[in-house]
Amino acid sequence: MLTGFSGTPALPSVVCVIELRELTKRYGGRPVVDRLSFRVEAGVVTGFLGPNGSGKSTTMRMILGLDAPDHGRALIDGVPYSAIDRPLRTVGALLDAGAFHPGRSARAHLLALAAGNDITPSRVDQVLATVGLSDVAARRAGTYSLGMRQRLGVAVALLGDPGVLLLDEPVNGLDPEGIRWIRDLLRGLAAEGRTVFVSSHLIAEMALTADRLVVIGQGRLLAETTVTDLAAGGDTLEDAFFRLTSQATDYRGSVA
Amino acid sequence: MKAAVRMEWIKLRSVRSTWWLAVAAVASMAASGIGVGLGYRSHTPVATEAQILNNSLSGAMLAQLLLGALGVLVVTSEYGTGMIRSTFAAVPRRRVVLAAKVAVVGGVALTVGLVASFAGYLGGQMTIRGTAIPTASLGDPAVLRAVLLTGAYLGATALIGVGLGTIVRHSGAAIGILFALMFVPTIAAGLFGEGGVAVGRFVPLLMLLNSVAVITPGPGLFDGGVSVLLMCAYAMVAVLAGGVLLRMKDA
Repeated sequence: MLTGFSGTPALPSVVCVIELRELTKRYGGRPVVDRLSFRVEAGVVTGFLGPNGSGKSTTMRMILGLDAPDHGRALIDGVPYSAIDRPLRTVGALLDAGAFHPGRSARAHLLALAAGNDITPSRVDQVLATVGLSDVAARRAGTYSLGMRQRLGVAVALLGDPGVLLLDEPVNGLDPEGIRWIRDLLRGLAAEGRTVFVSSHLIAEMALTADRLVVIGQGRLLAETTVTDLAAGGDTLEDAFFRLTSQATDYRGSVA
Repeated sequence: MKAAVRMEWIKLRSVRSTWWLAVAAVASMAASGIGVGLGYRSHTPVATEAQILNNSLSGAMLAQLLLGALGVLVVTSEYGTGMIRSTFAAVPRRRVVLAAKVAVVGGVALTVGLVASFAGYLGGQMTIRGTAIPTASLGDPAVLRAVLLTGAYLGATALIGVGLGTIVRHSGAAIGILFALMFVPTIAAGLFGEGGVAVGRFVPLLMLLNSVAVITPGPGLFDGGVSVLLMCAYAMVAVLAGGVLLRMKDA
């Protein structure tokens, strides 16, 4: 089920939790995210796939209201993120593994964010246990390894027990054990009926983690598909991915 | 708003720089007070009550930079580390976050400023004990007022720091601008000679030394209370400008 370059794909209206409508962001006149429209549904892991610099992180930041779109909107259950009361209870996000003060302990970091959303301190201990950081929670987060930082980021995402999870490149820099841990965690969360939206530039990893795929290149929607459908063309997932993204490059070349 | 204030309070007390800067502010004022007192012990002619009070509070010159830096770092350290994105994800209404930072930093800096100011005063008074120098008693309303206003001045400096940090977003740049704002106008006002007072009475450092931390303000200067209100107005302008930029710029 490949969609073209223009228009909103006519997907059947299932449970729709994250919805982008013509979301656009320009830096210095150049579109980084270009009229991006798609939906992310509950109960499955949706992979957000695209080469480096294709606009995945910018899209994630716009969904969270951190960057303002130049055009279009991103909605969660029909409302913009900024309109959600105590949003960590609805949406959990891992944007990058360094979004903490290196001098602050993991526990204090989580306690502060919990306090901002009226989440009880006992929940902080729960998520620390979930991500396996209980024993080092009093240590300054700046002393953590990359894997531990990712786990702290995941703890933040899980803090409010949210129904929607957004994770930007969660497996970046993780060892194989960490990658498997994230994969199992995400699949478990989706199986509980949550909406899980996870970006990656690694098609092989997405093939193992995601059920549905949203593929972008140069900020444009290339495909809204499933892992099964993408591989159904007879070639490997990797070939299918390259075919999609090279089209995006060609398209851009023709108008530039 | 209450939740945001609790969040900011936990964040402020859970980094070491807060404690270092607070301790350094108090220590610098105590040390200045003691140093000034010791210096005056052997000074002729015998110092007046006004001199010893004014000079024993002179550590506020350093304390204002330390507490100003504390205010700056509360904002810029978040931009420098990426923490700001976690903060705004938790509380998307940015001006609520800014207001919470102002409330928490204002309260903490005012408290630390008052402690530092009293430490400077006591340092001076304790070291001149047993000499002919007249005691500046806190029972004298003019003395108590000078000590309290100095603490309040320091609190306002931290809020100027919060505003600058929100505008500039970069620790080094914001602290550099803060220091420049404290010293450059002072030097500039000095270039006007006698006429400089007309400008100098609006300049933070000159207000501190000649209007706030004194029993009687220098000629042509504002009353200490007015000077502190002026500092609060500067802080408000900086914070409001920061608030406008927060709304306009991406996190």
